[in-house]
Amino acid sequence: MIRDITLGQFVPGKGIIHRMDPRVKILLLIAFIVFIFCTFNFVSLGVCAAAVLFVIFLSDVPFKLYLKSLKVIILIIIITSILNIFYGSGTPIFELGFLKITLSGIYRAIFVSVRIICLILISSCLTFTTSPTDLTDAIERLMKPLKVFHIKVHEIAMMMTIALRFVPTLLEETDKIMSAQKARGADMESGGIIKKIKAMTPVLIPLFVSAFRRAYELAMAMECRCYRGGNGRTRMKILHMKPLDFGCVGFAAALLAGIIVCNLILPAVI
Amino acid sequence: MSFITAENIKFSYDEENKNVLDGVSLKIEKGDFVALLGHNGCGKSTMAKMLNAMLLPDEGTIVIENMSTKDEELTFEIRRTVGLVLQNPDNQLVASVIEEDVAFGPENLGVEPSEIRKRVDEALKAVDMYEYRTHAPHKLSGGQKQRVAIAGILAMQPSCVVFDEPTAMLDPNGREEVMKTIHTLKSRGITVVLITHYMNEAVQADRVVVMDSGKILTEGTPKEVFSQVNLLKKHSLDVPQATELAYKLIGVGLRYTEMPLTAEECVSFLEGVLR
Repeated sequence: MIRDITLGQFVPGKGIIHRMDPRVKILLLIAFIVFIFCTFNFVSLGVCAAAVLFVIFLSDVPFKLYLKSLKVIILIIIITSILNIFYGSGTPIFELGFLKITLSGIYRAIFVSVRIICLILISSCLTFTTSPTDLTDAIERLMKPLKVFHIKVHEIAMMMTIALRFVPTLLEETDKIMSAQKARGADMESGGIIKKIKAMTPVLIPLFVSAFRRAYELAMAMECRCYRGGNGRTRMKILHMKPLDFGCVGFAAALLAGIIVCNLILPAVI
Repeated sequence: MSFITAENIKFSYDEENKNVLDGVSLKIEKGDFVALLGHNGCGKSTMAKMLNAMLLPDEGTIVIENMSTKDEELTFEIRRTVGLVLQNPDNQLVASVIEEDVAFGPENLGVEPSEIRKRVDEALKAVDMYEYRTHAPHKLSGGQKQRVAIAGILAMQPSCVVFDEPTAMLDPNGREEVMKTIHTLKSRGITVVLITHYMNEAVQADRVVVMDSGKILTEGTPKEVFSQVNLLKKHSLDVPQATELAYKLIGVGLRYTEMPLTAEECVSFLEGVLR
């Protein structure tokens, strides 16, 4: 039922990527996103794509799930590649009124779609292999330097943690309220979109009221447990960089080197 | 000096309303198991929040191990000493992994990471939830969630735990689990204050305090308190079922020596009568 929905689609496992330090994973993801936009010929693009496939192979997550995550954005890929085909410059291969297709346009379309696919696959890999708690934890630790700019890093991380904690609870509650309203004859299935949205009002109002009540009680429970913000707070889990993590950083560095070499030796096509 | 001393506490939530607490004095000794009884709105939950400085009395003082709750510098020390477990288990859990939630308290206190790990494991073992430490709270039953909430308080190593109707939202199984955990705490020398309106839970305490409209109506051992059936009935309070039965039988002319409190005691009482 509704309560089985999990956020972040984490797939428990024991693969290499699962065991990596979440901080390293996030940083490498960002690095990879930069890399993939630094590919200017087919060989370097191929190197990137091969790296993605290699990471997916290591990730201990069924490939079907990756295909599923691609399905959602297939429309975006098609639209952007079509737009890019007509965007190129140079001598047209094919002309139709004001639309003209050039070789560089076709190259552009291929690059854009491969880049988007790689991007989605590699970021899915992060959410598949990292539990939401590890993610928020890593984000808090990575954002720590921002404290200099008076950004409340701890508070943001705490809000994310609580939000994640209460998603299933509130889903369950929505379920209950909907059943309760249906039992009193509320009609939520029939009618057009506008009518359906209107029918949600008697569900949303109790849900909001109860969410505020929960927030009040949770705040009290947190105070009872001596919560006083991030100052002087310690953490149970300490993240350590393991040899595995250094290995992965090394892999990323090698990838970067490969891309640079390919870009230098071979001519750029876009 | 008692472990907890409350003297002539008066309190109202806003100025126009009448006092929720109207001159409550209470002494709790170290290692005691005290049950606080009373019907809704008699001020027992307010009293619970007084004991860990969540609320401060308008008049009177509360002193916990020589710390007055009025001293703002001691607020966190008092909350560490007196833990409070609330009614709704769902709204007390902060993190989406059990062990992280239990670690929340000690993390706030700034305890060393290795020490937190030790305390978390210990607390989870004490409430018999250790094998669930990596689970998500929303997959647990109500009783299990409440036990995790208790572990979260235990990890702060309090010397007293106040329970504010911890079983009110649980099914009978969950209630039994929580009561078992409360007895475990008591056997470890932790002072327990249990606020409840289940009489069979109050009977298990060493001492029962009955509150009514912001005042203490009567207090004593469960036997002493529940023998005053007339007084309790007058204030529309329940007595344990066993006591109720005996009381009715006495009403029709049975002689008795001692009021039964539990089903077992009631059986032997009836045996004695029938012989």
